[in-house]
Amino acid sequence: MKDLIKQGSRLGLIFGVVIIFLILFGLTTTLSDILGEFVNIESRTRTGNPAGLMIFFAILSLWAGSKSTSADRSNFKSALISGVSVSLIIALIISALILLVGYLDSIDVSMRDYLAQLDHLSVSFLLYGRELAAGVLITFGIFFVFGILGALLSYWYETKKVGEAIQKQAFILKDKALDSKLAKRYIEHPRAKWIGYGLLGLVILLTPQFLGKYWNYAMGTVGIYVLMGLGLNIVVGLAGLLDLGYVAFFAIGAYTMGLLTTPAPIALQLGFWPVLILSIVFAAFAGILLGIPVLRMRGDYLAIVTLGFGEIIRVLIRSDMMAPYLGGPQGVRDIAGPSLFGLSISSEKSYLYLIIMGILLTILFTNYLQNSRVGRAWMAMREDETVAQAMGINTLYYKLMAFATGAAFAGLGGALFAARNQYTGPADHTLMVSINVLSLLIVGGMGSVPGVIIGAFVLKGLPEILRELELYRLLVFGGLLVYMMIIRPEGIWPAPRRMMELHADEGDGIPPEEGLVGEEG
Amino acid sequence: MSILETRGVTKRFGGLSAVDNVTIQIPEGSIYAIIGPNGAGKTTLYNCITGFYPSDEGDMLFQGKSLVGLSPDRITKKGISRTYQNIRLFPAMTAIENILVGAHPRLKSNWLDAILHTPRQRAEEKEALKKAQELLDFVGLKGKGDLFARNLPYGAQRRLEMARALANDPKIILLDEPTAGMNPNESVVMMRFIENLRDELGITILLIEHDMKVVMGISEFIYVLDFGQLIAKGTPGEIQKNPQVIESYLGRGAAGSA
Repeated sequence: MKDLIKQGSRLGLIFGVVIIFLILFGLTTTLSDILGEFVNIESRTRTGNPAGLMIFFAILSLWAGSKSTSADRSNFKSALISGVSVSLIIALIISALILLVGYLDSIDVSMRDYLAQLDHLSVSFLLYGRELAAGVLITFGIFFVFGILGALLSYWYETKKVGEAIQKQAFILKDKALDSKLAKRYIEHPRAKWIGYGLLGLVILLTPQFLGKYWNYAMGTVGIYVLMGLGLNIVVGLAGLLDLGYVAFFAIGAYTMGLLTTPAPIALQLGFWPVLILSIVFAAFAGILLGIPVLRMRGDYLAIVTLGFGEIIRVLIRSDMMAPYLGGPQGVRDIAGPSLFGLSISSEKSYLYLIIMGILLTILFTNYLQNSRVGRAWMAMREDETVAQAMGINTLYYKLMAFATGAAFAGLGGALFAARNQYTGPADHTLMVSINVLSLLIVGGMGSVPGVIIGAFVLKGLPEILRELELYRLLVFGGLLVYMMIIRPEGIWPAPRRMMELHADEGDGIPPEEGLVGEEG
Repeated sequence: MSILETRGVTKRFGGLSAVDNVTIQIPEGSIYAIIGPNGAGKTTLYNCITGFYPSDEGDMLFQGKSLVGLSPDRITKKGISRTYQNIRLFPAMTAIENILVGAHPRLKSNWLDAILHTPRQRAEEKEALKKAQELLDFVGLKGKGDLFARNLPYGAQRRLEMARALANDPKIILLDEPTAGMNPNESVVMMRFIENLRDELGITILLIEHDMKVVMGISEFIYVLDFGQLIAKGTPGEIQKNPQVIESYLGRGAAGSA
């Protein structure tokens, strides 16, 4: 009993502190707005939706309550005790905070000087637009009642075996579906795989038709990140070279496209397609140039040098010194679009198709590369560089090639990006791009094509969907990365290889070295 | 004619000469052994031959041509393979992939072939895979091709390492304690296996070994190293009778284990 209360209070404390942070960052406001919109309740205050806030608090306390019984879910009394202790602690902490904030606000203490999110309006929002006492009481009530409710729900879920029942039902349904004639005919059909691909292709082909201008643009951005992710995947995932300056090649692709197709600052005005090829070639060449000095570096040193390289390129394109050639801080404007078979490509939709084409080609190429002599050489290098060399692999050559290949894909992405935006400037090529691409690899799953696509959707697509959260994207990023590293170090959709690598020890618990002796012994 | 030859090879680490003026000659198609107490410089000599360490003095000849100054990959391409004392497979690659990496110098397709998936590349891959399967069978790992190297049992890892070393059709293979960690039965199997390599594939064998039964059982000629210096050479019979060897190696070894 004592232990239960102790445990419960500790959990309550953790949740309480996290919620305080959410409030102080002002994240509650935006989340409440989204929730409010979701349940269709009009906002009455200017800063946020009080009904949404109540729902948000209720969800949080339900969650906390359900977590509280994780120690022993099958015993009603212990579930209740831990539920009460958790919700009491959270309710006390949050009400105390709101009481304090509300009181300070009522005696006209300006908290904005210290906490930017706490102005008069947001304080009244935290009180649901009501009096101090009423607001605090409502908060307390919500956390207390829903916390206990959460604990009881999880007790019910556990004792009635709801989870198992659902799983069982799902299995039965799946078996039934697989047993049905239609499914059998489909699965056993020799061309089933190709029909599947065909359907997928059709979906990809039709989706842009149904998306609006804005969404086509947003998906285009996601697509460009998929391109870069696939490229970086070769460098980091396959060859094991940690490259933090990946944005440099993106910038080179974008600027090649910008400078060679526009009348100013360099009056060449070549066509889109030859320049697209040139962008890829230049980026690959830059990859080799970067590769030469860092060839003998490994791990951390390599990461730092490449980081510096990315910054050099950014500073260079920003600088006044290069402004006559590169456009300086203003960047390059009025980049003209391409035309294909007499059709001019200028709308967001047609660019999305172009990007999708690029992605499909890239997937094809990387797949071929991965399963070839070259891909194996890269993997061997990642596993053990010394032995790889002793296997007759020219490690210097293959390292340069990994850099060049990865850079080529980034160059393609950059060129498409610049052409689509009809503009490119230093602001497009910050360190954040490199970090984004690396993060999407980690979140999605290193070495896996579907993983890269999912990662790009999560990191570039989600912020577009949750536009209101834009401000907190970095916060969410960081949180997500830490969470992923702890819960799923292999990523959302990992390559089977990597999953086995990371979970190999969980198999039989015996390291292979101890399983001595061959079969003949 | 000797296929591999060292002439006065010396390797120093600071003031210590790990390998000191060592001259050996390995005739083609033979099984030769290098023995010596721990720290005698046997593996260092291997590392010099395979280009891991640059040697400080002397010359190393493979088929009459000098190996000095060549990088490890160039030396491997000439037809010298090796295995390692502490197994060094690519742990997160499958057994068959390990062998295919070993076949790297033998294969010709470049990155352009790979990207374009040319018929030439596909044919080569198919052939390479077939040969890798054969090698896998040859070392007794049939059906284990898709397992990760790190998940194989110890003995199987040793044999996989050997299959990998064989994949590039070497002319000579340098084995570093091939029977380390094996029981007497397994050692006998390994001995037969090594003899097979020479008899069936015609590969010259140089081995470092501590197990005297193995050394005396299969090698035709033995070099003895101590403190980096060559202290004796001869047939197994001569070495067993050599007083200097008995004193500095066998004697001390016996004392150490007693």
